[in-house]
Amino acid sequence: MVAVKETVDTVAELERYKYGFTSDVEQEFAPKGLNTDIVRFISEKKGEPEWMLEWRLAAYERWLAMEEPTWAAVKYDPVDYQDLYYYAAPKTKEGPKSLDEVDPELLEIYAKLGIPLKEQEVLAGVQGAPKVAVDAVFDSVSVVTTFKEELAKVGVIFMPISEALREYPDLVRKYLGTVVPVSDNYFAALNSAVFSDGSFVYIPPGVRCPMELSTYFRINASQTGQFERTLIIADKGSYVSYLEGCTAPMRDENQLHAAVVEIVALDDAEVKYSTVQNWYPGDAEGKGGIYNFVTKRADCRGDRSKVSWTQVETGSAVTWKYPSCILKGEESSGEFYSIAITNGHQQADTGTKMIHLGKNSKSRIIAKAVSAGKSDSTYRGLVSVHPKATGVRNFTQCDSLLIGKECGSHTIPYIEAKNGSAQMEHEATTTRLSEDQLFYAQQRGLSEEEAVALLVNGFVRDVLQELPMEFAVEAQKLVAISLEGSVG
Amino acid sequence: MNAIARFDLNNAATYPSRRVEAWKYSDLARILRETPKLSATTDIKGSGPFAALGGEVLSLANGHGSIDYSAADQVTVQVRLVSDAESTGHTARVSIKTQAGAKLLLLESHEGRGDYVAHNRIDIDVAAGAEVTRIVLIDEPELAVSVTEAEVNLAAGAKYRQTVLTTGARLQRFETRLAHHAHGADARMDGLYLLKGARHTDLTSVVDHLEAHGTTGQLTKGVARETSRGVFQGKIVVQRGADGTDARMAHNALIDGERAEIDAKPELIIYADEVQCAHGNTVGTLDEAALFYMQARGITAEEARALLTEAFLNEVVDRIEQDDVREVVTQWLTARL
Repeated sequence: MVAVKETVDTVAELERYKYGFTSDVEQEFAPKGLNTDIVRFISEKKGEPEWMLEWRLAAYERWLAMEEPTWAAVKYDPVDYQDLYYYAAPKTKEGPKSLDEVDPELLEIYAKLGIPLKEQEVLAGVQGAPKVAVDAVFDSVSVVTTFKEELAKVGVIFMPISEALREYPDLVRKYLGTVVPVSDNYFAALNSAVFSDGSFVYIPPGVRCPMELSTYFRINASQTGQFERTLIIADKGSYVSYLEGCTAPMRDENQLHAAVVEIVALDDAEVKYSTVQNWYPGDAEGKGGIYNFVTKRADCRGDRSKVSWTQVETGSAVTWKYPSCILKGEESSGEFYSIAITNGHQQADTGTKMIHLGKNSKSRIIAKAVSAGKSDSTYRGLVSVHPKATGVRNFTQCDSLLIGKECGSHTIPYIEAKNGSAQMEHEATTTRLSEDQLFYAQQRGLSEEEAVALLVNGFVRDVLQELPMEFAVEAQKLVAISLEGSVG
Repeated sequence: MNAIARFDLNNAATYPSRRVEAWKYSDLARILRETPKLSATTDIKGSGPFAALGGEVLSLANGHGSIDYSAADQVTVQVRLVSDAESTGHTARVSIKTQAGAKLLLLESHEGRGDYVAHNRIDIDVAAGAEVTRIVLIDEPELAVSVTEAEVNLAAGAKYRQTVLTTGARLQRFETRLAHHAHGADARMDGLYLLKGARHTDLTSVVDHLEAHGTTGQLTKGVARETSRGVFQGKIVVQRGADGTDARMAHNALIDGERAEIDAKPELIIYADEVQCAHGNTVGTLDEAALFYMQARGITAEEARALLTEAFLNEVVDRIEQDDVREVVTQWLTARL
């Protein structure tokens, strides 16, 4: 029984939160608090063009006039926006030219996290092993991006957004803020004002990106907010698969992570965006943990364009995010596959929006939520079909699994059809783990915890299958880890 | 999180706008800008859609007076809420109680003429082991505005059956808040809407399972033609400790017109783990292949549409348990297809 063996191994590997270490890296900070000087400081630090500073300042003005939203089904202590560092960076003399110049201490941290930053390590691997290019973001700055040259050969631009602003200002200016406008929401406005780094990806027409691209976010410094910005542009007929991962040290305080991800897909382009979110969820009493307030949106501008979001949400004290697709192009398609696992005192309010504007556009939503402990999980989603979008198809499935008496699981879908030819289906179920299945698995010699892990893995399998292979394995382990201590 | 504001027709400040989440798709404040003048009383004409079914008839004309009824044994009661007014408004109050073990067939009709604003507040208490079947036929003019709010409380082992059929109005909201206050209650709440022109209806329900082993089944089906708008909002809440709850909700709608609109929000809010809850929602249009097939057999396009629509909607009517009631409701529906 290979499957059982795997499960036993997985469970054997269980650890509370193995990425919770802190690292003593010499860092520099901007003064605490937020004002126009800080915005100017960040912009200057990045050597940005004047228009970018204006853009940030305008965003800051908008943010000041906005109120923090309260509609999500999450409760958390208010964030004191003046008590945060908005910029923290490892101290370096000059930006490293190559991997050899990167602070070995940083490389060590990433090695500890299991992120290969050394190109040769990957190259020396098994013949034909898939390559993954990584952009590693440490607090407010990108420390290293791998495989840049190899990617440049096929015309793919993959670099920190701060660098792209210097090297390809016109390209960034053309697309930045066109998917998530500055004043879209409170956290997007804040991000627009103070974002310090993130990834920029441009795939030229007709190019299939030769390797997986990924960003790895690490919060290290305390009392620091992380605000990164990712912009992915897939030009006509191109393809890219992108993965995002994240971890943070275990701290008593709550740390804010407010990212913005914008994706533009032109005619016939396809983008696959996968997230394995493993921010520190707080301790067993619900103390500490990351507030993960993220705006992610894809604009399927081109005809027959396709964007697929896959997310595995296991971390964070509070998650509040809705990766969305605006399906403007004819026959464009959007997909959303999600696993949200909450345990302890975690709260997750997540889902998606599929806005059908183009004729014959399609969308598919598969959301699986597992709640254990004293946690709360909410699926909140919108599927809307606009009057001119004929021939729209949508399928939505939301399943929730409850483990224990003190958790909650909620499903709040909105369905708006303004066109007579739309065909939309939505189904949702909420159940507990089957006693029969648990009993059966235990009969076969599995412990209760192993049995739960096995059943949960089966429950979320539809979504795990959508992840790129290497990450599916990692995600599967995470599922087991997140549920540790949820039974008995 | 109960965002439903207490609506009071005499106080324009309580009129919810679409900014109130529970009224997102029915912007009452936009249609009703100020408090309407109070409607004068009116004569009640005719005998109502349930005349053939007999039973005691209780009527309210433009909300004057009130109905306070208590059912002891097995009884049939017709409640006629009649509105006939021009640009004025009124609130009707109905209170229905049952004694333990009673069996009540409540036949409720909303009949109207004019461009009135009607507010109906209905309280229904179903005692332990009692059974209430509430059938509601709503036939209002296209310029009327109406808000019906019903609070239904179920005691242990109570059985409640509700079927609502409506053709909409300028803005119409039919809201049912049902609570399972004790264990083992069994509720079924079905709805049907058939809209044309620029009519609007909003079938909203909140079912709260406070105690264990309650059952709720909901089936709502609707058709929106021309530029009409159908809204379905169904919320099922299972509170901590309400183990053994079995709740199922389905909403299926047909859009039969380029500019018609359907908005749906089926919600599950679950705090107990030993439950079975599910909801399904579909929005679609009439099957072109079936329409083509029927026309190829010599049925006109119009007839074919009516037949398919009737077949689609009949599922709701078929769930009515009493044969004579089902027959009356079927006739009512057929006349409006």
